[in-house]
Amino acid sequence: MSSRKMYYLICYDIREPKRWRKCYKLLKGFGERVQYSVFKCYLTDRKLAELRWELTKILSNEDSLLIAPIQQADVNRIIYLNMNIDWQLEKERFRTV
Amino acid sequence: MNDEPLIRVMALHAIEYCERLFYLEEVEEIRVADTAIYDGRRFHEQLPEYVTLEQFVLQNEELGIRGKIDCLRTQQGMLVPYEYKKGHARILPNGDVLAWPSDQVQIAAYSLLLEKHLNRPIMEGRVFYAADHRTVSISIDEKMRNQVMSAIARAKELRASTERPPITANERLCARCSLAPVCLPEEERLVEQVGRDTVRLFPEDRDLLDIHVTSPGSKVRRAGNTLLIEDKDGQKRSFPIEEVGSITLHGNAQITTQTIHLCANKGINIHWVTGGGHYIGSVSNSAGGVQRRLRQYRALIDPELKLRLAKALVIAKVESQLRYILRLTRGSEVRKELESYINTIRDVLSSTNTANSLDELRGYEGSAAKDYFACFSRLTVDDAKNGMAFIHRNRRPPRDPANALLSFLYSLLYRDCVQAIVTVGLDPTIGFYHQPRSQAYPLALDLMELFRVTLCDMTVLGTIHRNQWKVEEDFIQAGDQVWLSDTGRKKAIAAYENRKQDKWKHPVIGYSLTYARALELEVRLLEKEWTGKPGLFAMNRIR
Repeated sequence: MSSRKMYYLICYDIREPKRWRKCYKLLKGFGERVQYSVFKCYLTDRKLAELRWELTKILSNEDSLLIAPIQQADVNRIIYLNMNIDWQLEKERFRTV
Repeated sequence: MNDEPLIRVMALHAIEYCERLFYLEEVEEIRVADTAIYDGRRFHEQLPEYVTLEQFVLQNEELGIRGKIDCLRTQQGMLVPYEYKKGHARILPNGDVLAWPSDQVQIAAYSLLLEKHLNRPIMEGRVFYAADHRTVSISIDEKMRNQVMSAIARAKELRASTERPPITANERLCARCSLAPVCLPEEERLVEQVGRDTVRLFPEDRDLLDIHVTSPGSKVRRAGNTLLIEDKDGQKRSFPIEEVGSITLHGNAQITTQTIHLCANKGINIHWVTGGGHYIGSVSNSAGGVQRRLRQYRALIDPELKLRLAKALVIAKVESQLRYILRLTRGSEVRKELESYINTIRDVLSSTNTANSLDELRGYEGSAAKDYFACFSRLTVDDAKNGMAFIHRNRRPPRDPANALLSFLYSLLYRDCVQAIVTVGLDPTIGFYHQPRSQAYPLALDLMELFRVTLCDMTVLGTIHRNQWKVEEDFIQAGDQVWLSDTGRKKAIAAYENRKQDKWKHPVIGYSLTYARALELEVRLLEKEWTGKPGLFAMNRIR
């Protein structure tokens, strides 16, 4: 019953605009886009399973998908060029706007 | 043709696993998908290429069931239904490979459906276990058929009842059950075996973002699967919908219909609070929960139960107040000055045990509160120089900054209590201690009593003592009344929400969890007072 969260880098290559659109929209609901077709999501095991299931419903055999977990220790070793991403480890639980 | 809806074959699978699971899922319609369930669904989407999945949807009025068969194959001239499972087969110590009992019933039920549909006998069904790549054959004999029929009969029986069946005796089933955080079987076992090591099946944290929209003129919109919050200067912020747990709109913020639809769909609660900090109302997509409400009404018209619960509640509250004052004055000179108040609170606490009516309890609670707030007043004497002294409790409207702050935090707590009650599926309008009024939900007011000290009073006094407030900036004086200003409100929300994230160990349940979760846990334990094992509600205390 762990509710521990972890960062995942989710990348996809989709050969058809309609499916691409669906996939993009779905992932926008789970995390933040960092590059074209690359998202970073901070997920529990359960959310990851949900996302994977939703994705399999959309993707077809010619599309590819890569989900890379990022260990907390590796977050500080990520290399950037002309970009920067904020990887907060302990995400806040409330936000006032 | 009868009106009774057909039973899903998957539900027969559930009934064979645990009757309570069947009841929660199929009758009370509480469905919680966990990792295993999503993995199973994905497994069915992604079966290996050699499986040509043709799902056959069948139903039969006579049997009273419906279901989807994964695959059909012909083996030596006979049709054989297949069921694909992502897990392991059951392997006996002697090496025999079997299908799990619930899987057997499931495949047998499919076979009976198929038999009726094709009007020819089906003698065998097979279950394929992907994890160990084994196929298990189940012969559809007389015994199997009877087992399916009795499972169907039991399902109909349970569907007609409003009582939740008891928890299963086999505790190993609970560890893998997706509904354990709703059913709380380990907590019930605790009542029978005091001191037992509880296995935590209730998540310690909520893991979702609570958004407060406080800037006047902000607008909450939906953009695809994200929430877009735009303030009046046009600055936009977006939040992925799956990360959001609740939205609270303070004052004049707008939210679009599309957003409300999306939130209802995702089970996100929306709350409205006035700029002055009064709770207005909430929107939440509460599940049907007919049985839950019926049981609640039936239980809470019983004066004896109401008195017992109310007593537990008042004792919990007064004891928390007492312990908090003792903690604040430990080893200090002030203790002597407050001695008489502390003693009265102690006396009240011991007489509460013998109270015979709700009115009597209210008297005790009121008198303890008077002395408690008197101690509060003494403990903030030094804060008068900052304008944050708490002279006495006043409200409607609050007339000094300390009271304005306390009232605002009570509103936030009230909102959380309503949310917790609705999440569990109880009806906040029927309580056991507070008088039924039209202004506020009695059950939410009841639940609040358990958390006033820990979540609000402690936050107020703590922030005052740490000099976190600037009276001119954080509060607005309007005639007699004092309100929180925009900056003050933001600070107060932060203090309260951070406090909710503090972890704390439940003295009876024995595991630690955040206060945000503790609210929901308390409601689930309350429901156990009339569904399951009583004796766990209002046992939380501060140390």
